[in-house]
Formats: sequence, structure tokens, C-alpha cells
Amino acid sequence: MTDIVHRGVFVEESRFNRWVEAVRYRWPSIAAVVGTILLWQLIVWGFSVPTYMAPSPGDVLNAFRTEGGLLLRNFWPTLGEALAGFAAGNLTAILLAIWFVHNRTAERAFFPIAVFMHTIPIIAVAPILVLIFGNGVTPKVIIAAMICFFPTLVNMVRGLKAVHPATLDLMRVLSASRSEIFWKVRLQSSLPFLFAALKIASTTCVIGAIVAEWIGSSFGLGALIIEATYNFRAPLLYATVFTAALLAVCLFTIVSIVESRLITWKAPDVH
Amino acid sequence: MAGAALAKAPFSRSANETEAASNAVSVRNIDVVFGQGPHAVTALSNVSVEIPQGSLVTMIGPSGCGKSTLLRAVADLVPVSAGEISVLGRTPETARRERNFSFVFQDATLLPWRSAIDNVRLPLEVGGGGTAHAEPAELLALVGLKGRENALPGELSGGMRQRVAIARALVTRPKILLMDEPFGALDEITRDKLNEELLRIWQETGTTIMFVTHSIPEAAFLGQHVLVLASHPGRVKEFMHVDLPYPRRLAVRDTLEFVQITAKLRQLLEEC
Repeated sequence: MTDIVHRGVFVEESRFNRWVEAVRYRWPSIAAVVGTILLWQLIVWGFSVPTYMAPSPGDVLNAFRTEGGLLLRNFWPTLGEALAGFAAGNLTAILLAIWFVHNRTAERAFFPIAVFMHTIPIIAVAPILVLIFGNGVTPKVIIAAMICFFPTLVNMVRGLKAVHPATLDLMRVLSASRSEIFWKVRLQSSLPFLFAALKIASTTCVIGAIVAEWIGSSFGLGALIIEATYNFRAPLLYATVFTAALLAVCLFTIVSIVESRLITWKAPDVH
Repeated sequence: MAGAALAKAPFSRSANETEAASNAVSVRNIDVVFGQGPHAVTALSNVSVEIPQGSLVTMIGPSGCGKSTLLRAVADLVPVSAGEISVLGRTPETARRERNFSFVFQDATLLPWRSAIDNVRLPLEVGGGGTAHAEPAELLALVGLKGRENALPGELSGGMRQRVAIARALVTRPKILLMDEPFGALDEITRDKLNEELLRIWQETGTTIMFVTHSIPEAAFLGQHVLVLASHPGRVKEFMHVDLPYPRRLAVRDTLEFVQITAKLRQLLEEC
């Protein structure tokens, strides 16, 4: 009862109070993050850990300030590779899923190959692609694409098939053509499944790009990670890792926002 | 079989034309068999029934009697293994392509991303759209959903969703409405209300209705005739006329005549 009154009052009040409400709701996670950073700082201090081994949070923050230009120069190639890989991998997966759903033979022929490709560790594919395509952007984009590809393919096939049998009966009674069923029913009902996969892909495409940059690259966050490690520049290494993580979080958030804009309806069958 | 039909064509055509005036659907000696070989299941065996134009026929029977299968065969959703179905003098396939009938499923089968009115419009957007059509907004008003045109299915109750499905079925102005346990998943109060409204819609539109149900009171309350089917294999037990005047109100169910009819139906079903 008091809770209801409480909330009612908050609705009437200012944005500051809403902010307070948000903090009240999120305080456990905020406290956990702040606590972890503090603990990290204390351990570094308490055990006198040398900076080249593990930098303190202050050192990392300092690296962001002093090495900002270097980080940003290497950030853009990685972002480009991740985005290009995201687009290429997901587009291929979506088109292939559409083909599979309309052609059983194609699905039976190529799905095992897709599964096989997925079982190859991506880190093992990277050197092969570097041998073929050289040190440029191409192998990075391909690896980022490959890492996005499989979850999207599987989810999209599932989504396109997830039409209620009674809905298909309805479309038959209406004498709807296959393309009408595709555009009016299948595509829409696959969207929740597709976005579940795109959210996975939004973070894995960054991983793909970075892993590819580890192998014989002179640019990108992946190359910077290798370089910082070999030169014992731990604060820079940590700053680079955080930049990469931040990039993945941003991409994830963007995909989530697009999803909430596009899927305003409730999907009772998707969990 | 095609050859035989061709040879008889001149006669059967004239027969169909006279029949079309009186019967909306005529089912002659049909068998429906699912599967092949030793696993074949006979869903319907030698079923014949004539559905007069403008009538409301309810179909009832124990589970496995093939009442839904019969309806689906009329709708061209299930092929018949033997016999013949004529829908307004046409094959079920032609009748489907010409939009002579609509189908209402137990599940409202609304597209969850489309608003109520856009769901009602769906039949006009696919399969050539059909020739005649009613105004979607008027149909939503007819089923009592005025003001909820832009609601998404997820925002509507089960009863409201089924009303939208009925409006969608009526948008092509079908001559025949095939309903497969449309109110089966609804609570009794909602079901009663929709039963009364269906009778009103039936009388306003003059549509022929075939209505599958597993509720004896529903079969007796709605039906001009009740088709009772027996199971294993599905076959016609009885085609019973319900001698109660329309318009029927829910109170009719408390009369002695109504109770006698349901008692008779219950007895027939027990014999199945």
C-alpha cells in the first residue's frame, strides 16, 4: 500500500526524482562495479603489484588520457571490420535461411557444411585466411562475418519456420501464394528470433575482428593488445581491452534499441 | 477418375446447378484416409450430408469422429480419398479460390504484429483479394469491437481476438462460414455471449454456417440442424433438426424443449 502511494508521488515529481528512482533500482549493480574497482585498487596497493604485471585502476584511467590518440587510431579499423563483418555475416545467414526454408534439398545439402564450419575454432581459421588474403582488412571482415554467421542462420531458419500451423491453414484458405506467406507472415514472425541472434552477433563480431588482428596485423585494437603485451605496457593493454568491451556493449545496445522499435508486439512463442 | 468426371460432365453440371440453389454444401459418400499402407487411418467413412443454403448446421461427435476433418475437407485443407464434395456447385478448390467460404479456427490465428483492423484486412491483401468485400471498420463494429480498431492482438482478451477472427472471416462476404470449435478455448460466459452474437450475425448476413463444437448445449442452441457423427471410423450418426424458433436467446436453454433436445443429443452420443 505504502509502495503504491510512494510510486504515485514519484510520477508527479521531477526528473531528478526519477533519476533517484533509477539509482535505487540499480544500486546493487553500481555498488558491485564500484566495489570491484576499489578491491582491485586495494589489492594492487596492498600486495605492491608492479604496474607491468597488473596496473591499478588509476593507471588504466591515466593510459586513457595519455594514449587516447593511439587508442582512437586503432579503434576505427576495428569498428569498421566489426561492422562490415556483422553486415556480411548476418546478411549471408539471412539469405541462406530464406533459401533453406523454401528448399528442403538445399537445407539438407548445405546445413551440415554450415555446422562443420562452425565447429572449426575461429582462431584456427584466421591464419589460413591471412595466407590467402594477406594482411589487409579482408581476412578480418571475413572472420568477423564467420563468427556472426552460424547463430543467425540457425535462429533465422527456426524463426521462419515458427509459424503456427493454423496460421498456415488460414493462408491456404485465403489462397495466399508462397511469396505472400513469406512477406506477410514468415518474415515478421522470424524477427524476434533474428534479433536474439543479432544481439549475440553484435558482441561476437568485435571478438572476431580482434582475433583476426592478432595474427599478423599492424593496426586495430587486436594488434594494439599484442603490442602492449609484448612491451609490458599493462595500463595500455587494459585500456585497449576496455575500449573493445565498450565497443561491443555499444553495438549490443544499438541492436537492442532497434529491436524494441521494430518489435512492438508481444511474441508469446519466443522465449 | 478425372475421365469419369469428364464423361458425366453434361449431366452433373445441370444437377449441380439445380442443387446450387438449395444446397450450399453437398458431401457425397466421402472417405478421408490419412497415411498409407498398414498405418493408414480412416478418419471418415462414407459420409454424406447436404447443407441447405442459408442454414446453420452444428456438428458434434466424440473426439476422433472426424468432425473437424469433415470441415477441413469442405475447406480444401484435407483431400478426400473417395467420394465428392461440392461447394456451391464447385469443387472445394475452386470455391476456395473464388473466396466462397471463410474459415474460423479454434485459435484466433491473428498476426500479432497487426492491429485488429489490419488483421481484418488481411484476406483482401492476399490470394488476389477476392471480388466482394465489406468495410473492415463496419465489421469490427458488427462484432462489438468499435473503438478497438488499432489494438494489437496482444492487448485484446481471448474473446475479443476471436471476434476479430470472425470479422476477418466476414470481410470477403463469404457465402459459407466454416467454424472449427471457434469458442472452444473461451470461458463459458464469453462463449455464451459470442453464441448469441453469432446468431445475430448469421441472421443479419444470411451466411450459411457449418459449426463444429464439442459442447452439446452449444450445438443445440446454435444449430438449425445438428449433424451427429460417430467415431472409429467417422460416420454420420444422425442429421437432426432442432425445432426451436429464432431469434433464440440464452434463456431458451432453460426451457423444457431445449433440455429434451440436449437429452436426445446426449443419448445419440452415448450410442456412438
